[in-house]
Amino acid sequence: MLPDTLKYSYYPGCSLKGTARDYADSIKGVCRFLGLELEEIPDWNCCGATAAHSIDQKAAITLAGRNLIQAAGLPHKEMLVPCPLCFNRLKTAVHALKQDLENQYPIILPESVPILQDLADFMASEKLIEVLTQKTRKPLEGLKVVCYYGCMSSRPPEITGARDFENPQSLDRIVSALGGIALPWPYKTDCCGASHSISLKDLEEGLVKKILDMAGRCGAQAVVVSCQMCQANLDMYPIRTGGRPKGSPALPVLYFTELIGLALGVKGTGNWLSRHLIDPRPLLRGLGLL
Amino acid sequence: MTILKKNSPKNSSITVIGSGVAGIQACLDAASAGFKVYLVEERPYVGGIIAQLDKTFPTDDCAACMMGPKLAELSRHPLIEIWAYTEVLQLEGEPGRFRLTLKQKARAVDPVKCIGCGLCAEKCPVKIPDPFNLGLNKRKAAFLAYPQAVPAVYTIDKRSCLFFTQGRCRICEKICPPQAIDFNQQDRVLTLESGAVILAGGVEPFDPRLKEELGYGRLPNVITSLEYERILSVAGPSGGKIQRPSDGIPPRKVAWLQCVGSRDCRMGRDYCSAVCCMSAVKQAMITREQDGGIETTVFYNDFRAYGKGFDRFFERAEKEHQVRFVRSLLSRVVPDPQEGTLQLTYTRSDHLLQEASFDLVVLSVGLSPNHQARGLAEKIGVGLDDYGFCLSDPLEPARTGREGIYVCGSLQGPKDIPDSVQQGSSAAAEAMDLLAGAEPQEFKARPFPEERDVSREKPRIGVFICHCGINIAGVVDVQAVADYARSLPDVTYAVDCMFACSTDQQELIKKTLIEEGLNRLVIAACTPRTHEPLFRDTMRQAGLNPFLFDLANIREQDSWVHRTEKEAATAKAKDLVRMSVARARLLRPLSEITYPVVQTALVIGGGLAGLTAALTIAGQGHEVFLLERTAELGGQARNLHYTESGADPAAHTQALISRVENHPLITILTKARVLESKGACGRFTTTVLVDEEPREIEHGVTLVAVGAEEFFPDEYLYGQHPRVMTRQAFETLLTRRPDEASSFERVVMIQCVGSREPDHPYCSRICCTGAVKNSLKLKGLNPKARVSILYRDLRTFGLRETYYQQARQIGVRFFRYEWGQKPEVSEQGDALRIRVFDQQLQTSIELTADLLVLNTAVRPLRQGLELAERLRLPLDQDGFFMEAHPKLRPLDFLRPGYFVCGLAQGPKFAPDAITQAKGAAARALTILSRKTMVAEGMKAEISGTFCRGCGECERACLFEAVAVEPTAEGSKKAVVDPSLCTGCGACVVACPNGAASLAHFQDDQIYGMIRVFKSFDLQVDQLRRSF
Repeated sequence: MLPDTLKYSYYPGCSLKGTARDYADSIKGVCRFLGLELEEIPDWNCCGATAAHSIDQKAAITLAGRNLIQAAGLPHKEMLVPCPLCFNRLKTAVHALKQDLENQYPIILPESVPILQDLADFMASEKLIEVLTQKTRKPLEGLKVVCYYGCMSSRPPEITGARDFENPQSLDRIVSALGGIALPWPYKTDCCGASHSISLKDLEEGLVKKILDMAGRCGAQAVVVSCQMCQANLDMYPIRTGGRPKGSPALPVLYFTELIGLALGVKGTGNWLSRHLIDPRPLLRGLGLL
Repeated sequence: MTILKKNSPKNSSITVIGSGVAGIQACLDAASAGFKVYLVEERPYVGGIIAQLDKTFPTDDCAACMMGPKLAELSRHPLIEIWAYTEVLQLEGEPGRFRLTLKQKARAVDPVKCIGCGLCAEKCPVKIPDPFNLGLNKRKAAFLAYPQAVPAVYTIDKRSCLFFTQGRCRICEKICPPQAIDFNQQDRVLTLESGAVILAGGVEPFDPRLKEELGYGRLPNVITSLEYERILSVAGPSGGKIQRPSDGIPPRKVAWLQCVGSRDCRMGRDYCSAVCCMSAVKQAMITREQDGGIETTVFYNDFRAYGKGFDRFFERAEKEHQVRFVRSLLSRVVPDPQEGTLQLTYTRSDHLLQEASFDLVVLSVGLSPNHQARGLAEKIGVGLDDYGFCLSDPLEPARTGREGIYVCGSLQGPKDIPDSVQQGSSAAAEAMDLLAGAEPQEFKARPFPEERDVSREKPRIGVFICHCGINIAGVVDVQAVADYARSLPDVTYAVDCMFACSTDQQELIKKTLIEEGLNRLVIAACTPRTHEPLFRDTMRQAGLNPFLFDLANIREQDSWVHRTEKEAATAKAKDLVRMSVARARLLRPLSEITYPVVQTALVIGGGLAGLTAALTIAGQGHEVFLLERTAELGGQARNLHYTESGADPAAHTQALISRVENHPLITILTKARVLESKGACGRFTTTVLVDEEPREIEHGVTLVAVGAEEFFPDEYLYGQHPRVMTRQAFETLLTRRPDEASSFERVVMIQCVGSREPDHPYCSRICCTGAVKNSLKLKGLNPKARVSILYRDLRTFGLRETYYQQARQIGVRFFRYEWGQKPEVSEQGDALRIRVFDQQLQTSIELTADLLVLNTAVRPLRQGLELAERLRLPLDQDGFFMEAHPKLRPLDFLRPGYFVCGLAQGPKFAPDAITQAKGAAARALTILSRKTMVAEGMKAEISGTFCRGCGECERACLFEAVAVEPTAEGSKKAVVDPSLCTGCGACVVACPNGAASLAHFQDDQIYGMIRVFKSFDLQVDQLRRSF
C-alpha cells in the first residue's frame, strides 16, 4: 500500500491547459483518489517541443532547461510529466545539459533536478499496479483495447531510458490490472503524424488510417493512449475525413487515466468521457461499465 | 630422416577445450602425429554446432554424414581421451607444463556400463523442450542429445528429472538392462597435466529477442536460421518436412532476413558473422528443392560470397532455383491479425516502399563467442576483443596472448567450416611446435593373441542375433531368427542376445568363439557403419582374422523401416541372416600391408605459405626439401607491407627466409621445378630440375604451396594512363613514397576488376578489405584526401567489418555499381574522369581522380597447370588447386600424401595463408611421424591368368593404383599397387575378362549371397517378363 500522501512535482505542459483539459482533469482526479499529491512547478514555460526544436536546437534545450531549474526549486524527488512530448524534451535537455559538452548553453542545471517520470510508466510501476488491482471496484470486464504509445515516451531509448522501446508494456499492464483485455498488436509505437496534422494533412491521415485499421483488424473496441497529441489525431480522424476505417465502427480513443477512473469509481469520470469527439459512452454502457 | 630430439621435461600431451569441428580437427591431427590428446567438452556430447545443421554450403553435403566419420575416428583413436560433460575450473602453470582442474559433471549414468539402448529415455515420464532441437519439440529427462551423439551415453537432466526434483519415480533405474543408472553419482574434480592447451569453444547464435521489432518469441512463425536447420533436418522435429511452427501447415512464402545481430552497432555487434549469407542461400535452395511451390526471398545488405565456389553457388540459387534476392534491410515484422501471415515492408531499388506478406520468416542470426569459452578465456588471462572473441596474433591467428595457449575456430572470430577446420589443424601444429622435443607418448596397441590359421578347417559359423533393446526385438521375432539360423548349413552355434555390443556380451562372444572352435562370425544387428570395427576387434581377440566376420543389418535395413510389418520383418531378417551366413562360409582371411615411410617432406613453393610449412615440419625433426620456381624465396608476401590490423607480412616473410636459410634440416632448391613424381603416400620419388640439372628426391609427403598471381587488366585505361595502378602498386607507393602518395587529393578505387565476371566468376576475397585498408592508410597520411570506392558488394567479412565502419566514419565514400553498368573512365589531362551509375542513389555520378586504383583479381599461377599434370592433382574450375573436400578436408588432396596451402588453393589473406600452411604441415605430420604405413587388406587383385593387358582397369582407376606393365615373358599385365588402392572396385567393374576382383567382395561371395536369396529366381523371372 501507499503511504497516505505522496508528493510529486508536476509539469502539465501547454496542451493540458488547453485542448487536452479532459486529460488534465482525469489525471488530477485519479491522483487525488490515489493519494498522490501533485505540485505544479511555479512559472513554467514551453517545453520547447516541435516549434522550437525544429528551428533552434539551443533555444529548445534552454527552454526545457529553465523548466528543470524551476522544478529543482521544489522539494520533491520526482517530477511527473503526463505529456510524452514534454517528457521527451525535458529528458533531452537533461541529457544535453549534462553530457553535450560541445555546445555551450546559457544555463547550468542545479544538482537538485528531480527524476523525470513519464506518467504512464509511473502508474505502471509494480507498486502502483498493485494499488490499482486492489482498488478496482468495477473491473473492465469484456473491454478489448489496443494500447497505443506513440513514439515520444520511449524513443530514442538513449534519452528516455526505455528498455522495451520496441514493444512497450506500461499501458498494457495498467489495462490488465483494471480487468480489461489489452490485445497484442504491432503498431504500438508507430507515428501518428503529430503536428503534421496541421501542415501535412495527407501524410498524417495516411498514418492514422493505418493505425486505426490495424486496431480494428486486431479486434479492438477502443484505443488507449497516454499522449494527448496522439489522442487528438486519432480521435479527429473520422470527423476530418468524413469517414471511418472500412467496415468497422469508429473506435473511441481513451486516456488510460479515464479507464482508471472508470474501474476505480473516481468521481467525475463520466464528465471526462463526455468530451471526446468519438463518444466512448455507448460502448462502455453496452458493456455495463458505465 | 629424423634427428634425435633433445630431452626435455615438457609434458607432451595437448588439451583441447571445445569439440566443434575445429577442436575435433586439432585433436585428430595432434593425436595422429603421436601426441596424447585430452578433449574437454562442457556439453554431454561432442560435435559442436555442426551436429545441429542439416546440410552445408556450397556442396550440400549432409552435416551429420560429414561429421560421422570424424566422430568415429575421434572416439576410436587410442591417443585421444574424451572428457565430455566436463568443465574447466582452473588452468595454471606455464607453456609445456600446464595443470588443468576439471569438473566432470555427474550424468547419473555410468558411462562404462551404458550401452546406449535408450530404454531409460523411452520409459522416462518427464517431457521438456528439447534444447538440441531448440525447443521445437520435446525430449525426456533421460536423454541422448541426438542418435549419433558421441559418446553414446545417456544423461539424466537433473533440473527436470522427477527423482532429482521431487524424490520419486526411479523408473529408469529399474528398467536399465545393464543397471547403468546411478543416482548417487557425484561431480568429480580432477586434474590434468598438459604441455599445451587449445581453446576451441566455438560460437552460439545471437538471441533475436533483443531485437523486439522482429517479433521473435512473440510471433511463432518468426524463427531463427538454426531452428530452420532443425526443421529441414530429416532427424529434426518435423522429420524434414517444411512447416510453420504455429499450425504445422507448409508455408507458401518464406523470407530470410540477413544481418540479425550482425553489423549492428546498436546491439554492440559491429562485426559481420561471415556465414549467414551463404547459409541463407543454402536454406532457400534446399527449400526450393524440397518444394518448388514455395517462394523464397532473401533480404540482404551486402551479399558476402567470399569463399571458394560461393559466388557460383549464389548464382545457381538465383538462376536455377529462382531464389529471390532483395537488397534491403528490414526494420520490422508485422503480423496480420486476420490472415495469420507476416507483413514485411522493404525498399525497392527505385526507393519506393513495397509491402509483401510471408508465411514464415527466418532470421539469419549472427554468431557470438560461446559464453562459457569466453568466461574461461577471460579467467586464464587470454585477452578478448570488444565482442568477446579471443584476441590473437594478427599474422598467426592461432596464437593467443599467452604462450602455450592456442585458439581455433569461431572463438577467434566468426568463420565458416573450412576456415575453422584449417585453423584447427594449425592450432595443432602450433601446440606440436611448442612441444617438439618433449618425450612422445608411447602408442601402445593392445596385444592380440596369435592369429589361428583356419584355411584347412571346414567353416564353423557362430551367429548372434541382437535385440538392440527393443530396436530390433520390438519388431523382429529374434528368437525365431536364432532358431532358424541354427538350421543353416555350417552354422554350429546360434543364439539371440540383448546387446551384442555391450562389454559383457563381447566377452561372451569371444569365449564362445574359442570354446566352440568357431572360425566364422555373423552378427545380425544394427549397422556395420558404426559397429563393424568393434566386432572385428572381438575377432582379433579370439585369435581369428578380422575379415572372417559379417554383419547382417537387421536394424537399419529391417526393423526400423518395417516397424508396422512384424511378420514380414522377421522373414526379411531370416533372409538377411541366410545371405550373411552364405557369404561368411566363403570369406577368406586378409592381411594388412606394411611399408616404411620416408620421413621427409617436399614443399613446392617458397612463398609465405611454403616457408611456414617447411619450418613447421622441420620443427618436428623431419628433413624438408623446399622448391622455389624463381631465384629468390619470399613470393608475393614480400610486397605486402601492412595488413588492416597493422601487421607487416613482408618483414615476417624476411624473418622466415633467414630462419629457413639457417635451418639444418631444410634444403633450399631455387630455380627448381618438378619434372616427374612417382610412388605412393609415405614413399615418393620426385625428379626435379634445379637450374636445369635433374635431381631425384625421396620423400614421404608433398605440399603444394605455389601461390598465385596478380591480374593486370586491359580496361579502365590501365597501362595507358600513368595515374592508373593496381592495388599492389598503390601499396608499394603508400609504403615507399608516402609523400608522393599523400599528394593525391582525389583517389578513386574500383573493386572487382577481373573478379566476379563471366569468365572468372569468383570473388578474390581480399580486395574489399584491401581497399578499405588502403583508404585508411591514405587518410592517415593525408586526412584531407578524398577517397571514393566503387564496389559491387562490400565483402569485409567477419571482424574486418570494423575497418569498413572506420573508413565510413572518417569520410571514405562508397558508391555501389552493378556489373551491367561498369564505371567508365576517361582521360582528363593529368587526372581522370570516372562516371558511374550509383545504385544507392539511382543516379549517375561523375568523379575526378588524381589517382585511380584498380583492385584487381587474384589469378591462379600460370605454371600451376603444368605442375598439376605432373603431380596428377586436380585443379578447380577457376584454375586453383582443388582440395579433397571443400569443407572437411580443405588442406588435403584426394590423393593420399599430397597437401595444399596458401594462394595455390584460392585467394586469401596473409594470416589465412599462414594458418593453412601450418595446418597443411600438421596434416603432413600425421604421415611423417609414422615409421611405417599400414594399408588395409581390402584391395583389388588382378589375376595374371585372366588379364590380357587391355588397360580398362588403369583407365577406370581414380587413384592410379593400377598400371599395365610388361612382364618378364614379354606380355603385358595389369598390376595393382596396394599402397595406392582404396578398394573402391571401379577396376572390377571395368575389367571385361573378370580378371580383376576385390578382396573381401569376391564374386563367389556376392553370388553366394544372391543364390540363397529364395525369391531371387522369382524376381529374375518377373524382370524377364517385364522386358
